[in-house]
Amino acid sequence: MLSTGARSDTNIEVHRYYAGTVLIVAFLSLVLQAFLHKYGRWSELLDLPLLVTIYFGVSRRNPVTGMFLGAAIGLLQDAVGHAYPIGMYGIAKTCVGYLASSVGARIDTEHPVSRFGLVFLLFHFHQVVLAITQRLLLNHPSPFFTLQLFLDSLASAGLAVILFALLDRLRRTS
Amino acid sequence: MPDILSRHRPLSLLAGLIVVQVLLLAFQIKREHDVRLVRYWAVQMLTPAERAGTWSFSKVSGVWSGYIGLRDSQSENQRLKSEVEQLRMRNRELESRAAEAQRLTVLMNFREGHPEPPMIPAQVIGASADPTSHILFINRGERDHLRRNLAVITPDGVVGKIVEIFPSSAQVLLINDKESGVGALFAGTRTHGVVKGSADSNPHMEYVQNDEKVQPGQAIVTSGEDRIFPKDLPIGTVEDASAGNPFQLIRVQPAARLDRLEEVLILMSQQELAPKKTEEATSAPGSLQNRQMGASQAALTTGGPQKAPNRKSTVTVDSSKSKPAASAASTPEHSNPNNAPTGAANSPAPQQ
Repeated sequence: MLSTGARSDTNIEVHRYYAGTVLIVAFLSLVLQAFLHKYGRWSELLDLPLLVTIYFGVSRRNPVTGMFLGAAIGLLQDAVGHAYPIGMYGIAKTCVGYLASSVGARIDTEHPVSRFGLVFLLFHFHQVVLAITQRLLLNHPSPFFTLQLFLDSLASAGLAVILFALLDRLRRTS
Repeated sequence: MPDILSRHRPLSLLAGLIVVQVLLLAFQIKREHDVRLVRYWAVQMLTPAERAGTWSFSKVSGVWSGYIGLRDSQSENQRLKSEVEQLRMRNRELESRAAEAQRLTVLMNFREGHPEPPMIPAQVIGASADPTSHILFINRGERDHLRRNLAVITPDGVVGKIVEIFPSSAQVLLINDKESGVGALFAGTRTHGVVKGSADSNPHMEYVQNDEKVQPGQAIVTSGEDRIFPKDLPIGTVEDASAGNPFQLIRVQPAARLDRLEEVLILMSQQELAPKKTEEATSAPGSLQNRQMGASQAALTTGGPQKAPNRKSTVTVDSSKSKPAASAASTPEHSNPNNAPTGAANSPAPQQ
């Protein structure tokens, strides 16, 4: 259903994908993230489900679709991992999906620089929401910003530019 | 509200989705003491409401009980005051009964400790209306086989003697009445005298020579020579003594509390009061019976006016000065057909 897409009220182009593309890509991102977890640092450096959420949110340009996609990916990520109770990543990625869709409906996100900047910002937004949720619910003082997070965000944004270009090939041409 | 939700549908959905996930988290996260977060939140949300409800209820209840509910407090207060008064009276009554029981216990113990002679208890039911005479009325009389000149005592000491008999009551002349006289002697020196009533409340011991050494606190007991009181019953102690003419003036503090008598014992005979352990009494050198025998022998062997202070003959003083009580009291009772008191010990009973 997510792959069918919906028409935006604005004149900005709404991309469509083949059936099952979104689900498969989301599933693969989770599998790959779990695979990277075996190699320790990589799983912390990269958050592939976050990148997939941002990409499809921006491409679909529908906040409702984006938030539900973020929620689904986040909840699955929580379910696969054991670091947090189910819902921590769900909330963060719901907000990211909503925000990415809202931003994607207003600005051009096809340019690599804008993609880099968008992912960089949403990465930190994701971290802020995650830290707030952890502080409020878990009484765990997670940092909002560190140098490590900054480097991670740069790496994720760089990877996102490449990943998004690959994912663009999955678009259905009209 | 529905308009706002439909107008901001994405935002509403976002909020709903986040709330659902927060609730999902709350079911998993446990706080201190292993309490789930959702329960913690529920309690935190409900507690202020419950506290407010309790506070409101207590205020309303306080207003009701403090103001509106006080309508009947006036009558209730009156009723409680009345109840308190009744309970106080009841308490006083019980205290009085307890004191009476204690006194009767003392009498009972004394009676059990002295099986001989026969004695009966009596209750003081009245006193003389004349302030100058010291007379009591007791609840025993002719029906109880009382007769005149029976000794009346308490466990503390001598009280007096019966002077008038009525069918169900009797009149007792106390030893501090000016008409009364009791044959007495000092317990230590065995010097005889007569304890007589006086104008004041305490009796005096008379017919004791001036050269007799008398100290305050000296014990005075009955001599038994008046044929009314058994020998060696405590009469009292010397309160003070001074030289007089021709005899000493000795004030006596009665052993029995004559002003607070409520129960007394009536000795039905002049038989000496012997404690239960008679064997020990007879074997002891200074025992009651030994002293009694010595005193009797001395009385038989003496005669005439006496000057010696420590001799039994002091009771047979010169008749030209005054008639000693014990000499008159030594007359056998059977020589007095009317059973009337003789001498000082048998002073005429007040005419009632």
